[in-house]
Amino acid sequence: MVGEFEYLILSAAAHLGEEAYGAAMRERIETTAGRSCSLGALYTTLDRLEAKGLVETWMSSPTQQRGGRAKRMVKVTRNGARAAREFYEAVIRISRGTAWGEGQLNRFRRTPYEG
Amino acid sequence: MKAEARISGVGWRCIEAAAAFLTPLEREVVLGDLAETDRGAWRGLGDVVSLMALRQLALWKNWRPWAASAGLALPASLFLMGCSLAASGTVSHLLHEPTNGSLLWRSASRLFLLVSWAWMAGFAVGAVSRGTLWASMLGCCAPCFYCLSKWPGHGLSELQLFLFLMPGLWGAWRGRKHLRLGLGWALFLATMAMFTPLMWARGGWIYGCWLLWPGWYLAATAKRGPA
Repeated sequence: MVGEFEYLILSAAAHLGEEAYGAAMRERIETTAGRSCSLGALYTTLDRLEAKGLVETWMSSPTQQRGGRAKRMVKVTRNGARAAREFYEAVIRISRGTAWGEGQLNRFRRTPYEG
Repeated sequence: MKAEARISGVGWRCIEAAAAFLTPLEREVVLGDLAETDRGAWRGLGDVVSLMALRQLALWKNWRPWAASAGLALPASLFLMGCSLAASGTVSHLLHEPTNGSLLWRSASRLFLLVSWAWMAGFAVGAVSRGTLWASMLGCCAPCFYCLSKWPGHGLSELQLFLFLMPGLWGAWRGRKHLRLGLGWALFLATMAMFTPLMWARGGWIYGCWLLWPGWYLAATAKRGPA
């Protein structure tokens, strides 16, 4: 099963589709998941995911916006989508019956110990 | 407006300088990502440094950096300092007796063995782990600096002690670039390496024998068949 950060990368890449590359994925992870993401962590995790066959990466043609530099484009493979789904379902299953589980998130947020 | 332009010239140059340690492809990707986003020079520099650090850490999970730095560069440096002393001692005797034929032969053979062993060890260091050459250099230089600080002015010039450095660096540069030798060259160097420990007196040759592995490693990984 994939790890938490691997799952975030797979989800960001899947969401961005054909526009998935380093800077865009980092932006997506930081704005949506609310956690900081260094390029070091991003690219080393991408290498690991590629070695496991969960993503494919390739170099795009250079763009003016990036000072004539190429992007490392990312695509989630079928195995990658399956691994992400397994992680997601595991999180959903394990969260059932908890205060923060499905449908109870808002109530949980109102509890005093959440601040 | 590109981030490249927004980050001050000095900041961007620092980022580019740090990125020089990445592979060319990764450098292009990372600098492109930083040029596209506006995160400031410090964050950009942090990104590049963190990537370099993680890449280095990944390299050290393998046996190769350990073998190249702690297993070869460090012990070979001590061994080669002894060989340098032995060779330069014979040469200085020869300078006092330039007509002595056997001394000429001993000087030439010792210098030849020293140069070939140092080149071979350097090549092996570069070939075994080219991504961590800085650590191997550190492993090689540490005993040199220790000897210099411990015995300053004992009649030993730096040239006598460090005769091996130039061929060693040349070998490391070639090894980093080519990774493998031709089989003939590798066998020749491995055989020559077996004679080098004989330069040592008082059992130092036993230490040298333990350091024969790079020669046979190069022979085992040599290019076979027609070039």
